[in-house]
Amino acid sequence: MQVELMRALGDGTRLAIFERLCAREHTVGELKTHFDVSQPAVSQHLGVLKRCGLVRERRAGRFAHYRARPEGLRPMVQWLTHYRQFWPEKLEALSAMLKEMPDVDAGK
Amino acid sequence: MLMQGNEQIVVDYVLAAPPAKVWRALTEPELLGTWLMQNDIAPVVGHKFTFHAPPRGDWNGTVDCEVLEVVPGSKLVYTWGGGSAKDDGHKMETTVTWTLAPAADGGTLLKLVHHGFHPDDFGFKMMGQGWRSKGAAIERVLAGIS
Repeated sequence: MQVELMRALGDGTRLAIFERLCAREHTVGELKTHFDVSQPAVSQHLGVLKRCGLVRERRAGRFAHYRARPEGLRPMVQWLTHYRQFWPEKLEALSAMLKEMPDVDAGK
Repeated sequence: MLMQGNEQIVVDYVLAAPPAKVWRALTEPELLGTWLMQNDIAPVVGHKFTFHAPPRGDWNGTVDCEVLEVVPGSKLVYTWGGGSAKDDGHKMETTVTWTLAPAADGGTLLKLVHHGFHPDDFGFKMMGQGWRSKGAAIERVLAGIS
């Protein structure tokens, strides 16, 4: 999931769309006025963001309204949180092991 | 935390052992297994190896790696796939870089950089200049979830 997530936001236009949708809900037509791309292109970007769980859609009459789903970023945040704790712990273990280890000349 | 412009994990560590000894601890499977995880590493570019540990939480206990760069005694780079991801077929592809430099008193300055993101990815772009100034909305949002 994370890879898709980050690729999705790695596109400049999609990232900009996501930012706008973080601020407030938009229709495709409203979004289009802010970007120099066609309406189908905006819809396609929204589709990618939706599949990644970064955008949610609300239908009201003839229009679909889109807004950001910031909790979709959570896997990325979790990844960072996990490894920020993991490595310092492991390096402590490395340090402890080196103290027990014979000198390099005594090894192979 | 995501918005600190720091989408890689950097850990500097001063070890009391000389670089040659630390190098062994990074590249010999048995030694590496003692402090990190069970593995079949070899410091040979292109070598594919795996770390194994008991599964925990969302992690299936396996990390798939491939050696990308070896400078004996001073630099080791390998890919680090999976890890914390749910096993949904879309594992995280990241890179781990170890650099060793002699420190005072015969010790070693060990630097670990865990790059989480591909250059095409969002995270990598976030490291770039200017992103944060225009990402205020996301920043607020992330402050609420992290």
